[in-house]
Amino acid sequence: MRRYETIIIADPDLSAEQRDPLLQRVSDVVKQGDGYLALTDEWGARKLAYEIKKKNRGYYIRFDFCGTGAVVNEMERFFRIDDRVLKYMTVLLDKAADIEKIKEEIALAQSNAAKAKEQAEAAAAPTPSEEPAVAQAEAAEIPTPSEEPAEAQTEAAEIPTPSEEPAEAQTEAAEIPPPQEPAETEEGQAPEPEAGQSEAAPTETEEEKK
Amino acid sequence: MVANARHTSRRPKRKKRIYHRRKVCRFCADTSLIINYKDPKALKYFITERGKIIPRRISGCCAKHQRTLTHAIKRSRTIALLPYVGSIDLH
Repeated sequence: MRRYETIIIADPDLSAEQRDPLLQRVSDVVKQGDGYLALTDEWGARKLAYEIKKKNRGYYIRFDFCGTGAVVNEMERFFRIDDRVLKYMTVLLDKAADIEKIKEEIALAQSNAAKAKEQAEAAAAPTPSEEPAVAQAEAAEIPTPSEEPAEAQTEAAEIPTPSEEPAEAQTEAAEIPPPQEPAETEEGQAPEPEAGQSEAAPTETEEEKK
Repeated sequence: MVANARHTSRRPKRKKRIYHRRKVCRFCADTSLIINYKDPKALKYFITERGKIIPRRISGCCAKHQRTLTHAIKRSRTIALLPYVGSIDLH
């Protein structure tokens, strides 16, 4: 028995009810060929790297199953005929798969996933409170180099009179930077690897020429 | 004969030492990195902006890992996770 992995790109316009018969058919095919469908993993709708049948998006589904070549042939024949499937690809994972072992693996993975979920839920409570605090601290640091807002802040802190101008300056200094800050860092991070690569390529070739 | 003379006169210039910094294969250096065709974000660093696979002399990968990388990129292209040509924005 061999272990295969098939990824199909289904039509993204299909509703969940329309997709169900497709999944049902796949599991039927595997069962008929004395195979074992280990996992059906739905990635959901994703953007495609290139157009397929005039569509820019696709609904990815991954099947992890054990079977023989006959199962794969039958499955691929079905995918070729069916309009709902834009594209498919089958990859051989293991030439001699043991179903019992795979069942154990899946059970282990599921229990691990459940544990991870519990941990994530437990960790979810403190983390959000930390992140805004950091953002606020950063926001507070940024205006200090320019002296004017800092003065306004100290004035406002020392004299709590209802003078509106320093109070406004303070709130502006505190509120405005946080949304700007993450945006800047994200923009800064994204182009860096690409720029590094494109720069690295020509320099390397120059070295080669020398 | 003239051409030969020219050739020999040029030779010393060409003998300039090539500065060669041997890069370490990042998959050998860190064995926790696994090349997987289902992870286009990781593979993106090994293709150019036009979608070509970056050669070994530039990426610095060892032969074994460059081979698996190439295989993974080609699989990824088949299932439209990476482009055959042109760029793609992965977020």
